[in-house]
Amino acid sequence: MDLSAFVTQSIGALSTASSLFIVAAGLTLVFGALRLINIAHGSFYMYGALAATTVVGWFPDSGFWIALIVGPLVALVMGVGVEMGVLRRLYGREHLTQLLATFALLLIFADLALRFWGKNVRSINPPKVVNGNFGLVGARVPAYDMVIIAAAIVVGGGLWLLLTHTTLGWKIRAVVDDPEVLVCSGVNIRMLYTGVFGLGALLAGLAGVVIAPQQAVGPGMDAQIIVAAFIVAVIGGLGSITGAAIGSLIIGIAETLGANLAPSWASTFIYLLMIVVLAVRPWGLLGTPER
Amino acid sequence: MKPIQMLAAVASAALLASVSACGSGGSSSTGGSAGGAAGGSTGGSVNIGVSTSLTGSIASFSQSGMQGIQLAVSDLNAGGGILGKKVKVVSADDNLTPATGASNMRSMITNDHVVAMFGPVASSIASAEEQLAAQYKVPIFFHMANDSSLMTKTFTPYAFQIVPNTVMEPRAVADYLAQKIKKGKPITVGTFAPDYSFGHDTVSGFLKALDDLHVNYKVVKQEFPPLAATNIGSYLSALVAAKPDYVFNAQYGGDLDAFTKQAESYGFFKHTTVIGMYGYLDMKALGSQSPAGAIGFDRAPFWAIKNPQMATFVKNYKAKYGDYPSTWATLGYAAVQQWAWGTKKAGSFDGTKLTKVLPGTTPPTILGKLQIRACDHQTETPEYVGTISKTGNSKYNGVHLFDDPMFKAPFDQIALTCAQVKALQP
Repeated sequence: MDLSAFVTQSIGALSTASSLFIVAAGLTLVFGALRLINIAHGSFYMYGALAATTVVGWFPDSGFWIALIVGPLVALVMGVGVEMGVLRRLYGREHLTQLLATFALLLIFADLALRFWGKNVRSINPPKVVNGNFGLVGARVPAYDMVIIAAAIVVGGGLWLLLTHTTLGWKIRAVVDDPEVLVCSGVNIRMLYTGVFGLGALLAGLAGVVIAPQQAVGPGMDAQIIVAAFIVAVIGGLGSITGAAIGSLIIGIAETLGANLAPSWASTFIYLLMIVVLAVRPWGLLGTPER
Repeated sequence: MKPIQMLAAVASAALLASVSACGSGGSSSTGGSAGGAAGGSTGGSVNIGVSTSLTGSIASFSQSGMQGIQLAVSDLNAGGGILGKKVKVVSADDNLTPATGASNMRSMITNDHVVAMFGPVASSIASAEEQLAAQYKVPIFFHMANDSSLMTKTFTPYAFQIVPNTVMEPRAVADYLAQKIKKGKPITVGTFAPDYSFGHDTVSGFLKALDDLHVNYKVVKQEFPPLAATNIGSYLSALVAAKPDYVFNAQYGGDLDAFTKQAESYGFFKHTTVIGMYGYLDMKALGSQSPAGAIGFDRAPFWAIKNPQMATFVKNYKAKYGDYPSTWATLGYAAVQQWAWGTKKAGSFDGTKLTKVLPGTTPPTILGKLQIRACDHQTETPEYVGTISKTGNSKYNGVHLFDDPMFKAPFDQIALTCAQVKALQP
């Protein structure tokens, strides 16, 4: 493989990893704080993307930048609604109960999306400034790939700052270890849960907007992404943001290698990898064993 | 719950979601009056069934195929119906699943007493439905699914295929390519196709045709992304990195549009000639992003078929649906015309009688007078191949069409002979 081919593929792998990371980060954040597997995370992602196609339809020129705010907001509102309306009643129940509840939500949201946006696949173009490509050591690199990678870096960096350098982050980490002590120290734990869940939803919505110009937006994308994001989170270790970053890089690279070495087996590669991780380290690369 | 258990639960939940979220919710019928008994007496109505994929990335063109059928039926009814009966269309979504397609068809035959079926998009579903057609002795017309094995390996007299099949289509494209390339000039080729039988068959058909035509080619990359995958990034970057001179793409609908846009972002079309199923709908969706200079192939472009019936059809279609007909609408309309013509000739709605009278005849349709070949019930439909124009066509909404002259691949040049077909049939 020559250098330009290597560059093309590396950036391809990075951009795949980046879009996965933004979704998986939200999923794993919510799991870390709330011990909740949220299948409806895929819905927030899909609604973010769908909202983006609508906004761009209204404002063809500046639409994408507006969508970058509207999409995550739509997901945030949905997330807060879901947390306060449904999930709040299910904390402390079995994982399976929560899983089923969020699964039901996914189906409901999917049907609602069909009502609002129809069954057709929709697509939007990247904004003009980043709708092209540039040369890099002989390879043509899609400019929009840089936007996706940058978004992932901003999200990753932002979460790291939030969790390690703010009081809120300290509380989020504390709630995992000992919610009762946190209550005693006067923290409104209900608000905290709602906030974390909303933040997770917001990230999913953001991911939806960011991928919309690059991928096909339509029914089924919710279920597709939740499986992928969950694999990433499991490989990296549920609850670990750094794990999610590593997990998505691994998946991005595995997919690209797979597409090169054994194209018909590319998707199988990922599942194989996951099985290996589960067999060797069931709690994931950076996770901690369940107590 | 351990991660592994959760994973199992998540995976099965997501799989379930992909099946049920779309919600087929039974069948619906439109047009004509109530009632639905089959039979020979005059008055009342008969049903025809359409089970197709009305959801997902291919929904836009299966819906337009359905519109062609509905327009054909309303034109039939406006002309007094057929054998004294009005025709009604019963339709259902197969969710891109063979089992759902089969159960749709079963319920249409037993509950709605349909007298003919008009086929699905996916060949896997077509194959399941073809067997039912034989079992229930109800004729099925394939205007979208084009697997050649439907008319060879799994042939039944109850099946008819109007769409150019997976042998004809890639052969037509290879013929066009061989005309364009200087004899003996070495070229590199990449392929990109959905990962199921249609994709694999079409790609191997294309490569085999290149062999037959003695084109000096080398395959540098073959990618098979999943059908309707939302993210094809890894597959595409592998293809781009291989820098092929030509790429044969067997994707269609939303998948092809997504491929074209993303490939464009790599500047891929500058150095690589992509060959793809660029029909009117795709070019309209792509608009100014249509890949000028790429090679398109189309099964029945309305703008290239010139006859008075076609002109009337286009006018009526535009009046009813506000747009020009897609290939799928055109083929759907023509398939209903074939059925209606055969039924009149048979003087009965009986499927077995139809299979006796229709093969070997030349029913007049909007495609012109095309014979339904007796040996495999394949309509002798030509395939259209051309180079995508740099400029939008002002007559047709500024959509980029093929440059003149385009290649209308003659049926006899691209299809298997009857002897070859017979050898493959059961």
